[in-house]
Amino acid sequence: MIKHHPKFELIQAFVNGELPASLSAGIAIHADMCPVCQQKIAQFTDQVAEVSFEEQYLDRFIVDSVTADSKTAADSLDDSTEIDFEQMIAGIVKSPAEVSVPKVEKTIEFKGQRYKLPTALNNMALSKTAHIGKLSRTRLQLNEGEIHTSLLRIEPGGGVPEHTHKGFELTVLLAGSFHDESGDYNEGDFIMLDSSHQHHPISTEGCLCYTVANDALHFTQGINKLLNPIGSLIY
Amino acid sequence: MQTNLLSKPTNDKSSHMSDKINHPQLCQWLQSVAQNRDQQAFTHLFKFFAPKILRIARGKFPNEAQANEVVQDTMSNVWRKAHLFNQDKGAVTTWVYTVMRNITFDMLRKIQGNKEDNLSDDIWPIAESMSTESDAFDDHLENKALLSVIDKLPQSQQDVVKGFYLREMSQEQLAKHLNLPLGTVKSRLRLALGKLKVQLGEKYD
Ligand SMILES: [Zn+2]
Repeated sequence: MIKHHPKFELIQAFVNGELPASLSAGIAIHADMCPVCQQKIAQFTDQVAEVSFEEQYLDRFIVDSVTADSKTAADSLDDSTEIDFEQMIAGIVKSPAEVSVPKVEKTIEFKGQRYKLPTALNNMALSKTAHIGKLSRTRLQLNEGEIHTSLLRIEPGGGVPEHTHKGFELTVLLAGSFHDESGDYNEGDFIMLDSSHQHHPISTEGCLCYTVANDALHFTQGINKLLNPIGSLIY
Repeated sequence: MQTNLLSKPTNDKSSHMSDKINHPQLCQWLQSVAQNRDQQAFTHLFKFFAPKILRIARGKFPNEAQANEVVQDTMSNVWRKAHLFNQDKGAVTTWVYTVMRNITFDMLRKIQGNKEDNLSDDIWPIAESMSTESDAFDDHLENKALLSVIDKLPQSQQDVVKGFYLREMSQEQLAKHLNLPLGTVKSRLRLALGKLKVQLGEKYD
């Protein structure tokens, strides 16, 4: 059962289209698996849409009622914009209805293990997979500067050494499970950590994660400080 | 220079007028575009949505040409993809909002130098809205944590929240059902949402 969900502020920003593609996709993937968040998103979208189009409605109504009575400055501006709009309409209605293409289901393979790719990622460019020990990573090439997005596969018995991050680290668990000091995580969990968290995830049965981070991981313990390659692999 | 087609003379009637989105009419127009490629119906839709989309886009794009592009592309998709609208899954306003938000998202991504990869329709599908089906709705009901939070609201707010969220009634239906003005239903819903947001934000953190 899913225990970790995005905060309401994130859902709001998601619906408003204000998040980067990486985080937007993370929320879409979670919502695909989480009926509770799906419902919240649907209802919040209804409300935002209603409010967006009703406040504006009022403006036009008033302009209309003013112009109906008298010729005003607003009226002539109305006319000039109308002309633009008429041309736009004439152009648009010449185009044919779109032929819908059924969505193809894509998969991704790590060392012989095949996973269904979440549809939110369907058109993202994937880099080649890099491997270190029981970790495999494929980068999603979103060009979002310091924000790096990846698919991370941990083989059974593998883990990520104890680390903190200077920025944030989002993990959406796509398949399998892992655990850390704070508990167990299962398919669909949306885990957002900031720099105050320090953790050491281990996957007994193996897992696939969608990860978004905006700063390299910082390994905190003895020998693990030598594990820089893993840090840059995951970030 | 910005035209002030959308300028806002203040008017006492405004608080009533804001409630008058005619959803059945919008739905009929969009269906007619989908089924008959009805240009007249499209013109009605265009006149309803285009000025509002233009104004929203001006808030996001400093450049007037880009704001116009949002109107052009959004309304163009409304015309070309009308058949993907499913009235059982939500209001026309929600669907057009989704189309507009997606166009805006892809344009911003392009302008900010990321990529021209048009990811929005994968993130927010416009064919099937994200509205929940009945089994998801049952899960929702089973969510005792959520219900217990709702039960702590004042009775007047509980009525609207339960009607709107759990019984999936529209705000208009609720107003009729509870014999309240639509504005009251809306303001109670907003109040209740504010409180739920605080509580759920903590629980679901
Ligand atoms: Zn959730």
